[in-house]
Amino acid sequence: MTEKLRTIIVEDEELARSLMKSFLKNNDKIEIIAECENGFEGIKTINELKPDLVFLDIQMPKITGFEMLELLEYKPQIIFATAYDKYALKAFEFNAADYLLKPYSKERLFEAVDKVASKIESEGKISDVAEKISNFPREEFLDRVVVKDRHKISIIPVDQIRYIESMDDYVMIYTKTGKHLKQKTMKYFESALNPKDYTRIHRSYIVKVDEINEIQQYEKESYIVILHDKTKLKVSKTGYKNLKVVLNY
Amino acid sequence: MELRHPFITNPRLAIYYGLFWLVAGSAMVMISTFVSGVSFGISIVEVFSFVITYALIGSAIWYVIKFTTLEDHSVSNILFAHLIAASIIVFIWMYFGVVIIKLLHSDSDEWIKKIIVVRIFFGYMLYIIYVIFFYAVNYYQGFKEKVINESKLISLVKEAELHALKSQINPHFLFNSLNSISSLTMTDPARAQEMVINLSQLMRYSLKHNQKEMVSFQQELGNNKLYLNIEKVRFGSKLNPVFEIEDGCSNAEIPNMILQPLYENAIKYGVYEATETVDVITHCKCNSKVLEITISNTFDPNVQSKKGEGIGLRNIRERLQVIYGNPHLLQTNSDNNKFTVTLSVPQN
Repeated sequence: MTEKLRTIIVEDEELARSLMKSFLKNNDKIEIIAECENGFEGIKTINELKPDLVFLDIQMPKITGFEMLELLEYKPQIIFATAYDKYALKAFEFNAADYLLKPYSKERLFEAVDKVASKIESEGKISDVAEKISNFPREEFLDRVVVKDRHKISIIPVDQIRYIESMDDYVMIYTKTGKHLKQKTMKYFESALNPKDYTRIHRSYIVKVDEINEIQQYEKESYIVILHDKTKLKVSKTGYKNLKVVLNY
Repeated sequence: MELRHPFITNPRLAIYYGLFWLVAGSAMVMISTFVSGVSFGISIVEVFSFVITYALIGSAIWYVIKFTTLEDHSVSNILFAHLIAASIIVFIWMYFGVVIIKLLHSDSDEWIKKIIVVRIFFGYMLYIIYVIFFYAVNYYQGFKEKVINESKLISLVKEAELHALKSQINPHFLFNSLNSISSLTMTDPARAQEMVINLSQLMRYSLKHNQKEMVSFQQELGNNKLYLNIEKVRFGSKLNPVFEIEDGCSNAEIPNMILQPLYENAIKYGVYEATETVDVITHCKCNSKVLEITISNTFDPNVQSKKGEGIGLRNIRERLQVIYGNPHLLQTNSDNNKFTVTLSVPQN
């Protein structure tokens, strides 16, 4: 391979960054083009520089490595570097991506680089790691959602979500203060939100149960829910069944 | 101190007490009727006018006992207090007894004259028996409480130890620290060595102090400085520990391993989520009565962390409850972007 992999390191601990840099100094496949201290910087830099490879820590301030991946417009190859993450390790076991467990050896690091290099040769530079990871079934329900509106990244605590509307490949998340578009499926949110609090009432809607003020019959076999702020949402037959279970009537 | 009457906290005792007096009273009625030849009705009035009243009034002697405990008062004070209390109780008892006799007894005046001196003597004697009985109950209760508290304390100390050990083998702490050491071996071997030593000392501290409940503040703080030093290596300028310790606090007593969960929280909720420098400020003042430690850190209120009070804080509260009988010695306060926790440790 003649061309070097343009690489970004996203890692919040300085010593961990310098270790990785000094290991990679001797690897002729890698050219480090940037370093980022947190996920916010990571998103900006990756979208801007469009690297071939990103070394990504998972536990970082403000937003995690996974949350950062969700917000990327450009999707490079990823090698995770983490001390421990139950959920991540499970995803890795299923070969969702390559990963390094800290502390790692130089040999192990180079092995991961070789793997990515050959992957790029066979599959191209754009990677589906982000999708694979974020669609991997979780063991715990979400407690927050990160969204990006233009250039601003917001962290929404899950309990502030009033309802979610499907929009083709995206969903619109309605909170008390506004709405946010996010590239995720309804199916993802249906499984990632606690079914005690959120229920799928229609192909296009997931609603927070506490937000419902009223359920109205509007034709013979169809219903609508009216939220506290008077928003009206359609309820499908299956959705009505779901509601009955959740509301216990 | 348990101030409630043992008959309320332990109803079985009240039932035994009632049964005792019922049997004793009945026996006296029998004797009076069959041996002395007094009519059955009169015997009941005679016996129960005094026996039942003493059973009721006498139970109040418990409170006299509670306020004249053998540990806190001089013998002369106790004797004097009991003499007054006995006189009051005997007077009230005699008063009710006489009233009942006057109302129900056919030959009341004669009878009262006959028995009054004996009854008063009898009242004082009963008072002494009651006092002995209640002191025994009180001592037994205190003893039981002490045994329960001691075993609870042991299990809480064990829990704190376990917590400290667990957080040291917590994968994020341990593996990230080892990764930092791995990095330092190349760039700064001296600091790598220092960190290995700090890590070892920290772990040794939590392994060593198995049974000891109280340590000096100096020792406890020293251990936590080790912990902060290790994290400082990891987080660099993001973590800025500041210590404002007033003179004379170092010899104050403090429960072993009670501070580490507080620093862990400051790092977990403050430093982990920060991109700027976070000051973790320890302020400490003391006098002869109390050692007051305040630990504060800034945090980002926009970052949603998992809520709920952790095992660390709960364990501290429970230990304070068991050792000092007061869980409110630990106070937390979250104000905008600043979290403050204050721990007051009573000193003897």
